[in-house]
Amino acid sequence: MKTGSVELVQLRKEFGDVTAVDGIDVSIEAGEFFSLLGPSGCGKTTSLRLIAGFERPTAGKILLDGSDMAATPPHRRKVNTVFQSYALFPHLNVFDNVAFGLRRAHVKKSEIRERVTRVLEAVQLGGYEKRKPGQLSGGQQQRVALARALVLEPSVLLLDEPLGALDAKLRKALQIELKSIQENFGITFVYVTHDQEEALTMSDRIAVMSGGRVEQIATPERMYEEPETVFVADFLGVSNLMPVTAEGAENGACRVKHGDFSLRASRGEVDRRGETHVVIRPERVSIEPYEATGENRVPGMIDRVVYHGASEQLVIRLATGDVVQALFVRDGSQHEWSQGTAVQVYLPADALRVLPPSSVAETAVALAPEAAPEDGAAAVGAGTS
Amino acid sequence: MSAVSRVRDWLANPWGQPRLLGAFTWAYMVWSIVPVGIAILFSFNNGRSRSVWQGFSTRWWWGDPYNSVLHDPTLRGAIEQSLRLATLDMLVAVPLGVGLAIGLTRWRGYGARPVNYLMLFPLVTPEIVMAVSLLLVFSLLYAIHFGTEAQTLGQVTFSISYVVIIVRGRLLSVGPEYEEAARDLGASQIGAFRLVLLPLLWPAIFASFIVVFALSIDDFVVTDYLSAGQSTQTVPILIYSSVRGTATPALNAVATVMVIITLLSVGLAYLVYRWAARSQPATSNSALNEIAALEV
Repeated sequence: MKTGSVELVQLRKEFGDVTAVDGIDVSIEAGEFFSLLGPSGCGKTTSLRLIAGFERPTAGKILLDGSDMAATPPHRRKVNTVFQSYALFPHLNVFDNVAFGLRRAHVKKSEIRERVTRVLEAVQLGGYEKRKPGQLSGGQQQRVALARALVLEPSVLLLDEPLGALDAKLRKALQIELKSIQENFGITFVYVTHDQEEALTMSDRIAVMSGGRVEQIATPERMYEEPETVFVADFLGVSNLMPVTAEGAENGACRVKHGDFSLRASRGEVDRRGETHVVIRPERVSIEPYEATGENRVPGMIDRVVYHGASEQLVIRLATGDVVQALFVRDGSQHEWSQGTAVQVYLPADALRVLPPSSVAETAVALAPEAAPEDGAAAVGAGTS
Repeated sequence: MSAVSRVRDWLANPWGQPRLLGAFTWAYMVWSIVPVGIAILFSFNNGRSRSVWQGFSTRWWWGDPYNSVLHDPTLRGAIEQSLRLATLDMLVAVPLGVGLAIGLTRWRGYGARPVNYLMLFPLVTPEIVMAVSLLLVFSLLYAIHFGTEAQTLGQVTFSISYVVIIVRGRLLSVGPEYEEAARDLGASQIGAFRLVLLPLLWPAIFASFIVVFALSIDDFVVTDYLSAGQSTQTVPILIYSSVRGTATPALNAVATVMVIITLLSVGLAYLVYRWAARSQPATSNSALNEIAALEV
């Protein structure tokens, strides 16, 4: 049987009055690439440090391959960590850094040499044994940190934003590399990140965290296509969150009123009634000439046209006053839209998702325009990769 | 262009050398070094005067069979006592200070903050206040004898603060990640300290040794208060008490010996530090920075 399954049962961590992790239940399978995704302060790093053993849980259990780790100090746990800052020992060269763990385990000298050489080849750092960490680039240091943990053949590897300090291009390259290393070694990866694109690209499953709780656990596709909460919908990619009054199911779809406009939404909680939100991804929003008619169409005016290179983002102010974003791949067709053009915004029923009401909805909507350009670019990246 | 404005341009040329600053620096160097040079020069005076030059001789160094540094037991004793106290102070204050610094930075309990402030206490208390209170305490504690024992304790009391401040600065800049990484890779708590933290702290520990040495050699008030008479007087005490009596150029020779010992130890320290820094490129210069952060 494959080893490396991790189970967090009602795991809780408090620092004084602050609850960093608020009773989470997560079950990670052996050999899985599992990401903990969330904004800073959501408890993802604390969760990782609890698994590593740097913090003691206030309550709850951490099961590694079925046995409770609560009383095991970090140096006796069969998990290793890649730190955000890498934490390479500056007084030791690359070889000694990578051999550090093997020496603590009293592995034979000849075997140390062989295993260190092999793992350095695997991360494409053969020939760098004598260098000091200070003489390496950021990307190389990152690989040494990875090699230092991998050489111990842990059943679980914990990664705390390992690509956070690298530039965008290198990050892209290392994302692919990390994924293939994980597949080759067959190790469980628990990957902490605030970068939704990173999580979507590499993970088998993602847990989105907020305020010390898990919002949703799902595969990247499901997480993106079928967000279960307002927070998830808003955090992953750009979402158009629209306040509506749901009026219950009708022919398998929910009839919702957005201002004076009546829309059909066939995804999510179609039975819901009352004040809530619907969400639609910008790439599913279509823009039509003002004369167009039909169901699920709302008139609006183009507020802004933002050029993203491969794509174009339109910001449209609806007649209800709400702002909706639409995203187009620039294939040479749509060009007649410019600022101030009056249009019909088509929101297809099979792309409108009814969410449960949420107290964070107001803040999430308020934050959306600020984060828009960055998220827009990321969403395109996620969509094309 | 008038002569005045040309001079002004030469002095104030924004692209040129900062000449005024340079001149000021040199003036200061001369101001601080010349008196020391004159004092050293008069240790070679061929006469009893310490202010009128009477020709070159080495009689105050080793020529005079009674009053030269080599033959006068009082002078030799003072130098020995100074070095003895400096060595003891270094050996006691540095390990204690390092331990205290680690405890204070890694300790998240309620007492950490007040203790941190308390560490600054000896730095801001007038030395005379500290000396008097130590004298009182040691008089009440009959177990502690005045002389080397009390002097060492007194010097350690204020030296520790400097060590804690230097080492704590380093600890804060190093952060807890390295120890955590070591623990994560299978090192025990003691192993993480020995294999990772200690090598990273080395420049700070080293700087502490130099600072403690300088503090001890320099100290007058505490050392004088806690001495047991002439047998345990150090060079500063000897020089101070001889001024009113029969001061000869032999005193200048004693002072010169101390200057040479200090210069040698700083020079040696620098060489050792260079050697240590060679194997630790990421932290080069930090010991010098750590010393520069304080006055020596």
